[in-house]
Amino acid sequence: MSAEPDTARNGRVRRGAIPVPRTPEMADEVGAGRAAAAVARTSDRGARIVAVTIALAWHLAIGLPAVLAARAELAVPQVVLGGWLLVASAGVYAGIRLLRDTPLPAPPLAGLLLAVDVAVFAAVGRPHLFSPANWVWGTLAWFLVVVLWGRPVRWLLALLAAHAATALTAVALYGATGAADLARSAMALYGTSSLPAAVFAGATALAALSRGRAATAVTANALVADREAAERARLDRRERLALVTGAAEDVLTELAQGRADPADPEVQRRCVRAAGRLRRLIAESDDVPHPLLHELRAAADLAERNGLPIDLVTVGTPPPLPVRVRRALADPLTATLADAQDWARLTVVAGPDEVVIGLVTPDRAGTGATGPPPDDGDGQVEHLDERDGKIRWTQTRWRR
Amino acid sequence: MDADALAAVTPGRPVGVAIVDDHPVVIDGVRAWLATEPRLTVLATGDDPDEVLRAAPEADVVLLDLRLHGRVVLDKLAELSAAGRRVVVYSEHSDPQTMLAALDAGAVAFLAKHEGREHCVATVLDAAADRPYVAPALAGAIVGDSRPDRPVLSDQEREALLLWFQSMSKASVARRMRISEHTVKQYVDRARIKYTRAGRPAATKAALLARAIEDGLVRPEEIGIYRSQASTDWPTP
Repeated sequence: MSAEPDTARNGRVRRGAIPVPRTPEMADEVGAGRAAAAVARTSDRGARIVAVTIALAWHLAIGLPAVLAARAELAVPQVVLGGWLLVASAGVYAGIRLLRDTPLPAPPLAGLLLAVDVAVFAAVGRPHLFSPANWVWGTLAWFLVVVLWGRPVRWLLALLAAHAATALTAVALYGATGAADLARSAMALYGTSSLPAAVFAGATALAALSRGRAATAVTANALVADREAAERARLDRRERLALVTGAAEDVLTELAQGRADPADPEVQRRCVRAAGRLRRLIAESDDVPHPLLHELRAAADLAERNGLPIDLVTVGTPPPLPVRVRRALADPLTATLADAQDWARLTVVAGPDEVVIGLVTPDRAGTGATGPPPDDGDGQVEHLDERDGKIRWTQTRWRR
Repeated sequence: MDADALAAVTPGRPVGVAIVDDHPVVIDGVRAWLATEPRLTVLATGDDPDEVLRAAPEADVVLLDLRLHGRVVLDKLAELSAAGRRVVVYSEHSDPQTMLAALDAGAVAFLAKHEGREHCVATVLDAAADRPYVAPALAGAIVGDSRPDRPVLSDQEREALLLWFQSMSKASVARRMRISEHTVKQYVDRARIKYTRAGRPAATKAALLARAIEDGLVRPEEIGIYRSQASTDWPTP
């Protein structure tokens, strides 16, 4: 929450002392979902490093030497070695993207792995079907884990089943249907799939848990912030109502008792100001004002307390805006408002893709500095300041 | 349901106005504003639309406070509009939704109460002639309309509405857009005419549209869905 003091409402106000509800805006800008996803990503980073390391280390330290040693005895050594290279590069690519939090194209990578699986089983030859030279037994499951990271567990189970089907088909086609060979196949499949599947499932569950917890925390924080901002807005409004009622009561009482003369321009001005304030209070319908509207209202209040009759009319609700854009939208107007005399009309027209703020005051040519050119919020905010002899027209406009 | 259902205003005779409001002080105020214009005459006033119109069935324009005895009378507004009464709504509820709902219900014009002094006479005169009058608050509501089925406005029409809403001065809008004041009014009025196709049909909407075509403000094909006045059914877009 803003730490600015509440002295803002006691009499004259300094510009810096306008309280702004910051937390709801933060909740707007971050959003429970995104915060939770960030927490989940951070919390399973360790598991990702483990998976990538196991896959690549095993591939390099156990798979490669075995393939090279048995090269001469393989049926088609080029295919076995080429497959190894292909999977190694796919693994490095996927590993880097995974550790950098960049989304992976899982379906093509998984397809590639399965294709290599089939090719290597076909090219390895009967003698090395169960030897370490048939590297797909050992590392393919780990690479599947890497490319499918963050996806539902059933995807991994399905692909492991496809891998098992490939292996068993190859075993059958090679005629290795003896009890010992079948037992060996089952052991190999179980041994090489169970650990990756467990790591994958565990990581998925932990990530889901931490995501849920983070989302709950963010939602709870946003609720608290909203409540605080609404409470502040309510207090703010009540104080202003008290102020307005007081002002209106005074002038009405004086009029009723004949102490004030309706023809007196000062009395008329007081009536105009009181009516304007009441109108603005009636027009406020938002419980937690958008920070932009909040700023403009505060600026309008300030100008009014300095004796300027001002109208503030808003149409539509602005979308969440970065602070930079909000500043670029509001600052030129609050600066001009500080110079304004006689009357001012402040209007806001907002939609999801456009916010236009206009300030019209009488033109007092030759006076009133426009101030330094404002930060234009990355060129998304256009600022116009025109005088046509009758009115001074300041407008800022943001387009998505 | 066609424009002829509206009684024509006789030239040379002052426009008859009926005022419906539940606050006598407001009636007096409005009466005072209208009294400055010899082409207008107040025929009847009161807090019940039916009684007021029984007293002055020949009223050309009805000025209706949208909130009577604590109730928003959009249904009554629709009923009067469907019956061919030119209703100018004025209300302290100048939120965009209410204004657009009033147009949809068939109001010829909408005035926010604080706009009354400057715009009341012009609004009533234009209403009597079945011509649109868009006061700044309504311009803001139209330009900020984000309903999915809202009429499609041209860039120029939107800009003119926006600047008119901001500045409340057509002369300033004209200078800013580098066009004539007349053209500014045309853009604003054309945008308003497009709203005659929104919401339920009403004789008053047909009359506004017919007059706009007669005046050359819009061409039938621009509205796209306009049919001959002889047609009794109202085509829904």
